Amino acid sequence: MLSQTIWWSSNALEVCLLARGASSRLIFRYPVFYTYLLFVLLQSPIRLVAYRWHKETWYGPVYWTTEFLGLAIGCLVVFEIYRAALAAYPGTAKMARNVLLFLFVLALAKCGAALWSDPHLLGETTPLQMERALRTVQAISIVALVTLFASYSIPFGRNLRGILLGYGLFIGERVICLTFVPVAGKDFWFYAYSASYLVALSMWLKHLWSYQAIPEAESAQLEREYQMIATATQRRLQEVRGQLRKAVRS
Amino acid sequence: MIEFASAIAGAVLLLLLTAVALKGWLASRQLGPGLAASEEDATEPCPEEFVNRVFSRADWQFVHGLEAGGIERLFEQERKKVALVWVRHTFAMVRKVMREHARAARQSKNLKISTEINIFGQFLMLMGVCGILSAAIQVAGPLWLGGLAHFAQRLSQRVSKLQETFQAGVLANAGEAGSA
Repeated sequence: MLSQTIWWSSNALEVCLLARGASSRLIFRYPVFYTYLLFVLLQSPIRLVAYRWHKETWYGPVYWTTEFLGLAIGCLVVFEIYRAALAAYPGTAKMARNVLLFLFVLALAKCGAALWSDPHLLGETTPLQMERALRTVQAISIVALVTLFASYSIPFGRNLRGILLGYGLFIGERVICLTFVPVAGKDFWFYAYSASYLVALSMWLKHLWSYQAIPEAESAQLEREYQMIATATQRRLQEVRGQLRKAVRS
Repeated sequence: MIEFASAIAGAVLLLLLTAVALKGWLASRQLGPGLAASEEDATEPCPEEFVNRVFSRADWQFVHGLEAGGIERLFEQERKKVALVWVRHTFAMVRKVMREHARAARQSKNLKISTEINIFGQFLMLMGVCGILSAAIQVAGPLWLGGLAHFAQRLSQRVSKLQETFQAGVLANAGEAGSA
């Protein structure tokens, strides 16, 4: 009963979001995000058909294929957030690219090391474990991006903030649920896993009801050389350091 | 182990997003400007004489010479308050410098990652020093910080002397083993 309620509520909220997105023309501003929503909406009837008529043979492959496709489109949503938020900030965009590249190389190296120590690992890994590992990498990437956004005080519009908060909360909740969800049977974590998407949908509906522009960056600083800015900051920090040293030694 | 790491990553993401959402909500309700205003005030560093005076023991020696316990206690309390205000002011100034740097650097096309990491490292170090200084003032008072610094210096000298002795011993042993 609870599963049914979550399923119907999610579909209703998705339809509502897509309708609002079309009427406010947000679909054209965030095309990847709305494609993701449409994909999740369409995957429900596909899974239902597979469950009803080919449960033994098709449901498993259909479920995991749509789940991993959703994960891949989700990665593109993160890329869309990065692109939209940092379009006017090439400095932070460069920093973000380097940080994300570093994380990606780190994840690949960890994966390579695990496969090196146990060559049968890939065959023994269940789809659930695979999803958890990939979602964890996604969660770490979002943490890095949000930290950079906060450090460089990147201004967000209401819409983009909503997409980021909703998707980030969904990934965070999902990673925690995937850690505790049982392979078979239904307990609290099974329902929490399903309901995590409902929380994200509610947040998106609140933030994406109508279009709101992203506050524009002030262009006065554009002409300043980075080296000048960095030298001035380092000089000011050195001054403070000198003061602190004097205070301790006086 | 991997499950535990995943759960931690998820929890960190949730906490971070909650903090960001809360910050946005506070800003929209305009509850934040009180804090921002105090940081905006921290434009100029305190005069050097002021810093020297707050942490100097000369005034305390004068008050101590009066041999009035009440005045001495009052003086110590007041000095502690002033020193803590100074640390808070310095803390706010460092944050302001970093905020201004971030605003300027985020639009630079030729931003250098190594310089950014260096600046961030300096910022973290200064934050740490301010934290330690604040705790030391709370525990020992500003007048004894000089003593603490001298103690730390003596301690580090002793450690480096010990290290030298140890290294000399290791080299001597290696020399003996080589000749044998």
